[in-house]
Amino acid sequence: MLGWEFPPFVSGGLGVHCFELTRALARKGIEIDFFMPGGGDGAVQKTEGLRVIPVASSELAPYMFVSKRGMRAGYGDNLLAAVEEYAKKSESAALREAWRTQKKYDVVHAHDWLTAPAGERVRKALSLPLVQTFHSTEFDRTSWPWEAILGIERRAACEANLIIAVSNRTREQVLRLGADYRKMRVVYNGVDQEKFSEGKVGAEAVNGWKRGRKVVLFLGRLTEQKGPVQFLHAAKLVLEKKPGTLFMVAGKGELLPLLISMSMSLGISKNVLFLGYVSDEDQRRIYKLADAYVMPSTSEPFGITALEAMSSGVPVILSKTSGVSEVVKAAIRVDFWDINAMAQKILAVISSPTLGKVMSRLGQRDARLCTWEKAADETLKVYKEAAGK
Amino acid sequence: MEICIYFQVHQPMRLAQYSVFGQDPNCGSYFDDDLNRKVMEKVAGKCYLPTNRLMLELLEKHPEFKVSYSLTGVFLEQCRMFSPQVIESFAALAKTGRVEFLSETYYHSLSYLFANKDEFIEQIKLHRKEISAFAAPSGVFRNTEAMFSNDIAYLVERLGYRGIMAEGLDHILGWRSPNYLYGVKGCNGIKALLRNYRLSDDIGYRFSAKWWSEYPLTAEKYASWLSSLSGDCVNIFMDYETFGEHHWADTGIFEFLRHFPGEIGKRGSLSFSTPSELVSRIGIRDDIDAPAVTSWADMERDTSAWLGNEMQREAFFALEALEGPVKERKDEALLRTWRMLGNSDHFYYMCTKSLSDQDVHNYFSPYDSPFDAYINYMNVLRDFEGRIKEA
Repeated sequence: MLGWEFPPFVSGGLGVHCFELTRALARKGIEIDFFMPGGGDGAVQKTEGLRVIPVASSELAPYMFVSKRGMRAGYGDNLLAAVEEYAKKSESAALREAWRTQKKYDVVHAHDWLTAPAGERVRKALSLPLVQTFHSTEFDRTSWPWEAILGIERRAACEANLIIAVSNRTREQVLRLGADYRKMRVVYNGVDQEKFSEGKVGAEAVNGWKRGRKVVLFLGRLTEQKGPVQFLHAAKLVLEKKPGTLFMVAGKGELLPLLISMSMSLGISKNVLFLGYVSDEDQRRIYKLADAYVMPSTSEPFGITALEAMSSGVPVILSKTSGVSEVVKAAIRVDFWDINAMAQKILAVISSPTLGKVMSRLGQRDARLCTWEKAADETLKVYKEAAGK
Repeated sequence: MEICIYFQVHQPMRLAQYSVFGQDPNCGSYFDDDLNRKVMEKVAGKCYLPTNRLMLELLEKHPEFKVSYSLTGVFLEQCRMFSPQVIESFAALAKTGRVEFLSETYYHSLSYLFANKDEFIEQIKLHRKEISAFAAPSGVFRNTEAMFSNDIAYLVERLGYRGIMAEGLDHILGWRSPNYLYGVKGCNGIKALLRNYRLSDDIGYRFSAKWWSEYPLTAEKYASWLSSLSGDCVNIFMDYETFGEHHWADTGIFEFLRHFPGEIGKRGSLSFSTPSELVSRIGIRDDIDAPAVTSWADMERDTSAWLGNEMQREAFFALEALEGPVKERKDEALLRTWRMLGNSDHFYYMCTKSLSDQDVHNYFSPYDSPFDAYINYMNVLRDFEGRIKEA
């Protein structure tokens, strides 16, 4: 399997997916060699059947390029070069591993455009069937798609034997790239129940910190696609009706300066807390504090954080344009542009203990059905189909 | 063997999307007239008008054919507002003298479940008055969604009813057949008409189900099933929207209905009766005992479709708590609004049962989720509470 990131070096759903999926597959007795750009060592606890093989050194994360053309030009060439370097080194590493261990790989699995060129090379070098997963497309990541990346994605969509999309929504986007619909399969992400369902923070500590205030949470990259701007506009409306409410914005991204000045010009800066990047451990704590989780994304291929929040027992308000809204029932869905509706639902959730309680209970039940075990089973089915078994 | 056919006819008054950020939330109506009109016009065109036309034809062609209905007051009000020809077509059926219109609560409400039963009784009286405009009042009662218990039977018996509809539930009947009339424990002679849910659902649910081993169902096959039954009567009750709405015209449901009376007529052992005729002619075989409220809704066949979760119960108790304040104001418009907010449908939309039943709730719901249903309802109710205080 060809990946780009792995905990603790994670900046998006791609890393979580690769980590959880490889573990779940390994538990099913599948042997996986996971190639990733440097830093893989020490990243993961030992799992039998899973070897992490660092193949190239790069510190570039998949989401570093952004919608502002200036910034992209700076990182862009480096990133493309890194992707190419990773592809070449993956090819030679795969050849080396195959020769050294005398093992016969059954399938090569690439994730997103970052590892797509590597997938193509490995598949040719070892004559393997290629499975390509799309966690997002360039259309989801930016309003100004970059032609070089679109080119790689189009090629990947055409080259792969089978394509996995993380939602029907993403499937549609990949079809836009020119993929043959007969090659498309949908495998939804899961959530690690144990990680989020247990209380990591005592109720007393939580209540002590909140002092009666309600907490509404945003967690994600601060980019246009994740909808933090709508979140602040909705916050302004909620605060008109419920002045003490606290709005937490967790995550970093190019919109941070804009959001900070926006919170000031809206006159709500006292009630908005920017947390910056939060670690895995802190993320779990934050969920425990939240009375509502809002995912106002304008374009969300899946949205694993919604499952994490539900798993933690937090009532969730989701944008309709998200993949996760295809799998969960116990969430409130809104149009990302409908600030009034969003604010109204937030108000209702934080004001009605009954609603909060029912959503929390049913959300946990929903999330329990979304397991990585299931995702691994379905991925395995795709492998078997690709390998003709 | 008497065949008793009965159809439930109802359309809820769906609420408008209420906004707490509206400019003047108090000025608008709580009800979504556009949506309600659209639904009424659609269902009138697909179901009510064509089915009534066919019924009239069948009643004219087959002098032995009889059917019965219950039309909710909320339905009749919406007919008047959006589709008056539907009322005329029901009135035409009534004129044949072989169509019975049963008694029920005007607002298709859960009012029996209020601690104080006065509102329940008032709504029954309102409904009787409404129906008597075009048909003779019936001596048989049908509570909202066939809600039934010993206590309900006892109460309506005291109001003068001689018969009451109920679901023919296995746990109430035990080894006994639904195809007889039963007395009710603790009552003094009121007769319970029990729905034969298997035969009713063969039409209501399974008619167009391709997975069903009996698919396709013809009138001839169905009549032969009925003629092989033993018992005094068979009660086939369902939603009227079965025709043309739940099963579209292209499933052949209208053809089924068209041939049904003729197929029954061919079999000497079968004849049609209205509920009142059953109650007058057939004696009881035994008593049934229903200490808890049963209904025909969902798999559970109890009140959990409306009061199964905390949101539903909170909304229901909040509504109930407004009864006193509303009635003190002696304002007809306020009272009517409060009663409309008591449509059982509002609570049905808040149901969170999963699996197949939730799909039925979703199918009928104008909301995206039960949570949205609860939020909107509570916002409206809170606004309404303000109106009462101001009045």
